[in-house]
Amino acid sequence: MKEPKLCVSCGMPMEADRDFPLGDRSKDYCAHCARPDGSMQSYEERLAGMAAFMVRTQGLDGGAATAAARAAMAAQPAWSGRGARG
Amino acid sequence: MINQSTKGADLPSGGREGRKRETRRRILEAALKVFAEDGIAAATASAVAEEAGVSHGSVFVHFGSQEGLLAAAIADFGDEVVRHLHGSLRAGAGTRRVLEAHLEVIRKREDFYYRLVTEAPLLGEGARTSLVLIQSAISFHLAPAIEADQAAGRIVDSSLALLFNTWLGLVHYYLANRELFAPGASVIQSRGEELLDHYMHLVSTKGGRR
Repeated sequence: MKEPKLCVSCGMPMEADRDFPLGDRSKDYCAHCARPDGSMQSYEERLAGMAAFMVRTQGLDGGAATAAARAAMAAQPAWSGRGARG
Repeated sequence: MINQSTKGADLPSGGREGRKRETRRRILEAALKVFAEDGIAAATASAVAEEAGVSHGSVFVHFGSQEGLLAAAIADFGDEVVRHLHGSLRAGAGTRRVLEAHLEVIRKREDFYYRLVTEAPLLGEGARTSLVLIQSAISFHLAPAIEADQAAGRIVDSSLALLFNTWLGLVHYYLANRELFAPGASVIQSRGEELLDHYMHLVSTKGGRR
């Protein structure tokens, strides 16, 4: 089976049209890492979004969520130049 | 260009890079097995090397340090979680189905996950963060499922975080005490369905139980 494309920003597998920004399959980042106009979010925007998601769905402390989000992003190709500690 | 045909037919294809990837893969598989059997803190690089059939030095060439090996092993498990959930859940999957998929993926690596959950407070920051990220992969699928069930009046109006943590608390308690609940067997296989039924009963509205 063909491996799905992985979002360069968050690592999410992208297969269905809805996984891509505005359904544009040529993009290397996913719908969750895109702004409403389809462009890719900045590092700060993505970090804030990911941390807020962890707070909302896992109940983490804000600082702990931001640290975990930084670590997650540091492992992704789009942000590999950014250290896990920001 | 490297001549790939001179190294024998039993070697993986792809030349030197392919063999490097294959060795790395073999060490990771061995690490997951050794961590599961010996415990993460107690496992040694020598035991992993022996299990993988490689030299002790090869483990460090590929992963730098024992911490690096652990981080890679947890990340590998996290990738399995992501792939399993993504591959087995259709769009619009309900809460119960997402939780079933969660149990399925734990079941695949139950011994390793047991070690990870029970030893997490003793492990380094990197390992603990990786565990948080694995839970994020679950909540990525669970949150929209719960929100849809809440909107339809099937699930109680509690916070997503408490609903998720209540589930994790239940599953992790049974895992941590698995010798009491399913001696010598998979506690997820033996008791998973019961936990799922109980949890769904707990979080369902009266209308949602019908």
